[in-house]
Amino acid sequence: MLFNRYRRGLFITSFLAAPVILYLIYVIAPYLQAFYIALTDWRGVTATPRFIGLENFQRLFGDSKFWQAVTHNGALLVLLPLITIVIALFFAFLLNVGGPSGVSGIRGSKFYRVVFFFPQVLAVAVVAVLFQQVFRPDGSGMLNGPLMALGADPIGFLSDRGVAFWSVLAVMVWQAVGFYVVLFSAGLASIPKDMFEAAQIDGAGRLSLFFRITLPLLWDTVQVAWVYLGILALDVFAIVWVMTLQQGGPDSATTVMAAEIYRSAFGHFRFGYASAMGVVMFFFTVGFAILSLRLSRRERIEY
Amino acid sequence: MPNTPHISRRELLRGAALVPVAGALAACATPAAPPAASSSAAPAATSAANPFGVADGKPLEVWIFDGGFGQDYAKNIHQPLFASKYPKVEIKHNSTKEITKVLQPRFAGGNPPEVIDNSGANFIDFGALSQDSQLQDLTALLDAPSWDDPNVKVRDTIDQSVIDIGTYDGKFSVLGYVNYIHGIWYSQKAFKDNGWEIPKTWDAFLALCETIKKSGKMAPFTYAGKFPQYLYEPLLTMAAKVGGNEVLVNIDNLEDGAWTTEAMKTAATAWAEVGAKYLMQGTTGLDHVQTQTAQNKYKVAMLPSGSWLENEQKTTTPEDFAYGMFPIPDVTGSDKMPYGTLHTQPGENFIVSARSPHPQAGMEYLRAMLSKKAAGDFSALVRTMTVVKGATEGRDISPGVTSASAAVAAAGENTVYYRWFNWYGPLKDEAIAATGELMSGGLTPDKYLERIQKKADEIKNDSSIKKYKR
Amino acid sequence: MTTMISWTVANSRKLARSERKRRLGPLGILTHLALLIWTLLVMIPILWTFLASVKSEDEIFSDAWSLPAALRWDNFARAWDQVHIGQYMLNSIVVVAFSTFGTMLVGSMAAYVLARYPFKGNRAIYFLFVSGLAFPVYLALTPLFFVVQNMGNLPLIGPFIGLNTHAGLVLVYIAYSMPFTVFFLSAFFRTLPTAVGEAAMVDGASHTRVFFQIMLPMARPGIISITIFNILGQWNQYQLPLILLQDREKWVLTMGIADISTAAGYDQDWSAMFAALTLAILPMLIVYTVFQRQIQSGLTSGALK
Repeated sequence: MLFNRYRRGLFITSFLAAPVILYLIYVIAPYLQAFYIALTDWRGVTATPRFIGLENFQRLFGDSKFWQAVTHNGALLVLLPLITIVIALFFAFLLNVGGPSGVSGIRGSKFYRVVFFFPQVLAVAVVAVLFQQVFRPDGSGMLNGPLMALGADPIGFLSDRGVAFWSVLAVMVWQAVGFYVVLFSAGLASIPKDMFEAAQIDGAGRLSLFFRITLPLLWDTVQVAWVYLGILALDVFAIVWVMTLQQGGPDSATTVMAAEIYRSAFGHFRFGYASAMGVVMFFFTVGFAILSLRLSRRERIEY
Repeated sequence: MPNTPHISRRELLRGAALVPVAGALAACATPAAPPAASSSAAPAATSAANPFGVADGKPLEVWIFDGGFGQDYAKNIHQPLFASKYPKVEIKHNSTKEITKVLQPRFAGGNPPEVIDNSGANFIDFGALSQDSQLQDLTALLDAPSWDDPNVKVRDTIDQSVIDIGTYDGKFSVLGYVNYIHGIWYSQKAFKDNGWEIPKTWDAFLALCETIKKSGKMAPFTYAGKFPQYLYEPLLTMAAKVGGNEVLVNIDNLEDGAWTTEAMKTAATAWAEVGAKYLMQGTTGLDHVQTQTAQNKYKVAMLPSGSWLENEQKTTTPEDFAYGMFPIPDVTGSDKMPYGTLHTQPGENFIVSARSPHPQAGMEYLRAMLSKKAAGDFSALVRTMTVVKGATEGRDISPGVTSASAAVAAAGENTVYYRWFNWYGPLKDEAIAATGELMSGGLTPDKYLERIQKKADEIKNDSSIKKYKR
Repeated sequence: MTTMISWTVANSRKLARSERKRRLGPLGILTHLALLIWTLLVMIPILWTFLASVKSEDEIFSDAWSLPAALRWDNFARAWDQVHIGQYMLNSIVVVAFSTFGTMLVGSMAAYVLARYPFKGNRAIYFLFVSGLAFPVYLALTPLFFVVQNMGNLPLIGPFIGLNTHAGLVLVYIAYSMPFTVFFLSAFFRTLPTAVGEAAMVDGASHTRVFFQIMLPMARPGIISITIFNILGQWNQYQLPLILLQDREKWVLTMGIADISTAAGYDQDWSAMFAALTLAILPMLIVYTVFQRQIQSGLTSGALK
């Protein structure tokens, strides 16, 4: 018995040693360092940061630009999952149970699923560069070209304050939808077909099929999607940094937390201050994670 | 998820217990201690020919910002010249478009390269470098004999403004190599073909805009809308012309109300009118390349830029386009500075790292760059004037450079510059954002200036930001 | 797509079909229309990029939808020369192959132990890993540079895992993929039945053998999907290699693309930029299309519940 326990301990240790050591060295150590840097006025090019306590956090409190960024992350946190999930559910439903019989997939559903997924395999940086061109504000832009040919005024997709944020959101949705169509399709496939049939015999139309059967049974998957997309919304950086004017503009209309961190660190060389922002961002993300875990447990539906 | 993880207090405490373990490892993450600069940087014997004491056999690492000028000038002009004198010093040439990302960690790590062309959109903040004494004091370079003539000091071969602008904390430490001349750029051909005259007064400028607009041939004016710093440049120059050089000095020194003076209001109002009436469609969303290319295609008549423009556009400019440049016109009739006042500013900033292993070679490299041959070849290659006096004498130069040089000659002593954007990054970002809004009508001139003033005050009161004076 | 299901229904098939058609029929066209619209939304920007990649500079800056007068394949030649796309792609493939393999090996070991072996400190280690999901990477960039630099000073192995080495980057990728991998794989291991493993243990199999020969194969769907996630994530990584790899010959693909799009602002070679974009996009689309069945089924085979 003792030997078995020893063997078990040895096994646990040997299996955990490599991942834990790697993780401590490359992830935890730099982050601890970053937490410490948040308490200094380090400007990034010296070897000796000066300890200044919580001064950075006090300053952060009055930094309207950072809170503007937080607001944008907050808006994305609500809108990105909502819109993406609604569109993806809609298409997944059409692809899987939208066929003429009402229970099977429609013609060409495989093709659609492949194409919808395309944006997901492109690097975010590539997508950002690509849409920068798509959104060009003159006749050479993919969208404004036809608009102007029709005699309309060009739309400042990225240069108009009121529009720019929605352009960012649209690109994020564009890239995300395909993945969730596939995810939800798999969820739908695992729902027993006879449930749909039974409902249809009861005289259910498509809409009620969707709300009475599809949605409740997919609820678990939807929640996973919500968490993924939530993290994506809090973490967004490359799209904003590469695509938008003035990296988060115009006039901060699209800026997000990650962009402000990056700007403070590598633009203004205020690494201490940037780290303080990062610490705040860390707590937002942890808060979101805990919140969503709590909620998901409460609303679970069994089948 | 029946096994959904949940965090209990006990587990959190256990997690905390792990922290010290990681803390020990975190020592790995601490920046290296600064190397003993004195021992590694001890110079070899100096002489008139080798004034800084370059050591044979000790390499020299050079990083060039690979932007509008490329990197060939360094490889084919500067480095061969240096090597001809120091064949035993190995030159390690590097280039990047992202100076900050590549070199910032090396500064923090205590092993920066000797020479850096700290330029481009992502240069390393000079204030931060100076604050942390990473910049080699280049005063010795100024007092050294020039490369061409042992009887002339380097100090006397370059413009005084280079020394003023390159001085941080009382020490000359940044060498702007290229002399940037700012103005309004146009096509001499387009103006001649259409019978348009260079406007000498602001009213004439607005009338010209109106004429161009009515002609329907092209839009009157544009600027790199994505980068509104292209527009606050003529705005500030105009304010200096109207209210005198102290307008800019006060702005640099973060004086109270420096941004909201009458001169600034006049300039902001003038440019807001251009923004409202005469901009090329879509301007606010276009970058410098796109607007400049539009000008090359005769879609727009004028844009504000600097003397790098001609080289930047060399691949898209039609053969007979003939770039020309004119200064900010007279605005009020009682402007403090005369017609022809120019904003000139040394750019393409070279630094030598104080904590690099071989700063002597770095300084010597800069001395070679400031020779007439190096500067002249550079101008010929990249069609831009350097700060070296008379380096383009007797050489064939392009129409744009000719036009800009003539403007400089006409301006004489009436040149202005500003430095706040290099000193205070957050203020620069605010001015950029606000200028974009001013031009698209989102801010009135008054609100525009108030907004930037507010940021300037904020920075003034922020004890963590180092302040500079000029 | 016929009425396979209606044989379970007592009603006559015909009646059922026409009944259903009455309820669902007109929607059929709308369904296709909606799907078609999204297909166009996805494909048009990509195709437009491909189109621009064979245009001349002039054509790119004039009318957005004009067809090129001649196909400019030389754009690709320039993109290939300037960006060394081939070299970078090879680097990316090598790095991602090793790092994904390493991530999955080490990550599944950790996830398995954490999911199935209760011991003192188990939860603490688990949360240490999972909390990594919440770290913004930019925060760690500069300290990480020093860590890797210092690793380079280790005796013997130092030169292989320091700055400017692919092996060093692989280790960093593995470490930064741990939170995600451990989180999802341990959730997956928890759902697997315990009986088989216990039976094997009774027969005298070691813990290690149970893991490699029984649990790992059982977890295959989950392993596949997390592998795909890691490949995509590591392939797209930009920030980490940017600070850790300075030599151009060592660069990975994303750095090359970012470089040429920055360069386009200076050299004004927009047609080459579009060509480079195409070179970055096309292989991914082809690989994906070829393996789409495995990828899609892998992605969705239950690990995400």
